[in-house]
Amino acid sequence: MIPAWMQKKEQFAPPGDGGAFAVRSLKALGGLLARVRVQRGREGRLRLPALWKLLLLLALLLTLSLSRQPLLLLALAALVLGYASTLPPGELWSVLKPALGAAVLALLLLLPAMLLWPEGRGNNLILAGKVFISIIMVNLLNRHTPWNQITRALRQLHVPGVFVFVLDLTLKYIVLLGGLMVELLTARGLRAVGRDRHKYRSVGGVMGVTFLRSTELSRQTWEAMCCRGFTEDYKGL
Amino acid sequence: MHIPENYLSPVSCAVMGAAMIPVWIHAVKKTNEELPKEKLPLLGAGAAFSFLAMMFNVPLVGGTTGHAVGGTLIALLFGPNAACIAVSVALLLQAVIFGDGGILAFGANCFNMAFVLPYVGYFVYRLIVKAGDGEKARSGFHLLGAAVGSYVGLNVAAFCCAVEFGLQPMLFRDALGNALYCPYDLSIAIPAMMLPHLAVAGLVEAAFTVAVFALVRKTAPDLSYDRLRVEAPRPGGKRYLPIFALIAVLIAACPLGLLATGTAWGEWGADEIAEIVTNGKALGYTPAGLEKGWSLNVPMPDYALEGMNEVLAYILSAVIGVALLVILFKLLSLVMRGRRNRA
Amino acid sequence: MALIELDNITFSYAPQEPPVLRDFSMRVETGDCLALRGDNGAGKTTLFRVLNGLSFPQRGQYRFDGQEITQAWLKKPAHAKAFHKRVGYLFQNPELMLFNATVREEIAFGPRQMGLSKDELQTRVEDCLALFGLEALAEKAPYHLSGGQKKKVALAAVLALNPELLILDEPLAGLDRGSRSQLTELLEELRQAGKTLLLATHDDALCRELGAELLEMTAPE
Repeated sequence: MIPAWMQKKEQFAPPGDGGAFAVRSLKALGGLLARVRVQRGREGRLRLPALWKLLLLLALLLTLSLSRQPLLLLALAALVLGYASTLPPGELWSVLKPALGAAVLALLLLLPAMLLWPEGRGNNLILAGKVFISIIMVNLLNRHTPWNQITRALRQLHVPGVFVFVLDLTLKYIVLLGGLMVELLTARGLRAVGRDRHKYRSVGGVMGVTFLRSTELSRQTWEAMCCRGFTEDYKGL
Repeated sequence: MHIPENYLSPVSCAVMGAAMIPVWIHAVKKTNEELPKEKLPLLGAGAAFSFLAMMFNVPLVGGTTGHAVGGTLIALLFGPNAACIAVSVALLLQAVIFGDGGILAFGANCFNMAFVLPYVGYFVYRLIVKAGDGEKARSGFHLLGAAVGSYVGLNVAAFCCAVEFGLQPMLFRDALGNALYCPYDLSIAIPAMMLPHLAVAGLVEAAFTVAVFALVRKTAPDLSYDRLRVEAPRPGGKRYLPIFALIAVLIAACPLGLLATGTAWGEWGADEIAEIVTNGKALGYTPAGLEKGWSLNVPMPDYALEGMNEVLAYILSAVIGVALLVILFKLLSLVMRGRRNRA
Repeated sequence: MALIELDNITFSYAPQEPPVLRDFSMRVETGDCLALRGDNGAGKTTLFRVLNGLSFPQRGQYRFDGQEITQAWLKKPAHAKAFHKRVGYLFQNPELMLFNATVREEIAFGPRQMGLSKDELQTRVEDCLALFGLEALAEKAPYHLSGGQKKKVALAAVLALNPELLILDEPLAGLDRGSRSQLTELLEELRQAGKTLLLATHDDALCRELGAELLEMTAPE
């Protein structure tokens, strides 16, 4: 027999705030998962082998960081921005947005220094510009290079197979566990109908369950590896 | 706390990366010894968990939110050695795929967040649990340990980060004496970094760590690291001694190494920098102006000495800080023991 | 006024993908009991997500009790909370709904936020535990329960909010025979108490017992 309170229809006026942490986490996770999906599916138009791209990126980052000659910096900026300008607008924005954010942050951070020591202003502005260019470069690489090509490039660089294996597993688990977190946070949102006085309980719950699942997943992976004849030969991976 | 590209000089980045190599080797070796065979998938899971934990928005007061690093939490759940590897992998993915934290600065970020943070946090946790009667300590001690450990761990890591920033203007300046990378020296970087971490970020980290650790202990007490690991042959305390000796050496060595390369930079700079700049000189500056700039800067001994003093002061204050921490925890354990004896 | 009105809903998960729902319309009156049937991929779960305000159709209109449910309207926490209080949703995989340390806390999570007195809250939680025979498991961690037990806990947690519309995705799947007849009986009682039920199920017996109206769904070509 269902209890009396369940037979009635009740009126309930909820408070108008709260839950911002869950909303923001959901948004961040959603962006992450979408990003990883794009990352997996896309081939770049610039058909350099991933290994070259990786080395080129490192070389450019290093040059950028070491260089103090305005002309060289301008040349790098021209190269990177010129390449970026050939992207379709939607993609362009997703490459530029984080870079702009980081550059603005850098300017804010450097603002007191520029006021305190006006003679160092030039260097500070160059620093902000370098931040801007490097983030565009990293974004360009990962927009146009599927993850499996990056790991293949790492293998070609003789990074140990165990390490590459862990990297690949990690990305797989990020998708699985990220999806779990999205569902848990959604379920929480559907039942968080009022003022949650124990927000940290939800935080602990969502992340705790995610941890428990992560150990379960890793155990299952291990068992599946054994079932398919894995003989603890990590070097052969 | 992710250091982006270009705030640190490539030389500092290289030094920090080099400092991480023995740590990684140690961590991999230890993980092999301590964790059961399925360690590889577990490391992947740990790295994924660490990555996601860093993305999670943690509630602060009044609808605002912040991020935790979760380094101590990972160390409590997976063990400090596995945590070191897991957080490093997470940081690498963040840098390469998501542009979060610099690729060149990867070594420095690992030093702060994958090395200092989890080991210090875990060490403090162990101290408190031991003071509360070891493994059998009441749940409260474990949670207190997790709270204090994560708070201290994050702040020590933030301190390291501040020092890395603060050393830049002392070591890397152009011919005119203007900072090339981060322009704030130790006297600004340390308070600017430490105040928000002591006041806010540390508390967020502690609340996050306790919330998750409490749930895991309640739901699956057999899953935390201390039960997971294969019993280590040597007794507690001592096992971590080498690690902390290593930390101490590195704390001391890092600025020294940086200073060494810094002065070397300045030394060959006398003619070589002139040369480099002359190459770029084709574009506007007159060599005379440059020479003047250089000679203007010649009252160098003074500056070098000043730099020396600051580094010395930094090492001394680091020693004092570590000593204060040790004293604090010794006193704490004394109080705890006294209480237990009375009971 | 109908409780649920869907007018020519079209929904796809990504712009370039084919729609999962195309020009779908539906009307549900208060107190109705409707069973959705259809092959895998027919769009049942997607429809449920739309009805819960978790996904938003690219075209068409969804009105709940006269109010149009849009992303903008749900953005206001007060609106979202009032809406979610009235609609209860049991996921197809109930495991994804459980995030508390104990079964008791799991059930108390929703009602604790409703400003009930301590006694009222206590009664609600105990009633819900008793309704599903979960008393013995009250202090256990939901994470470690079996699939069927998890389903019961998740449903108990949803019912503790006393929603007027219940959307249940495969409520009987994975339950043993005894639990099935128990749950069928409970749903019958809820129906009599005036709740609106919307189920996705392949269980003919359940539909017969409830006298549910059947709605066959097919995937759009």
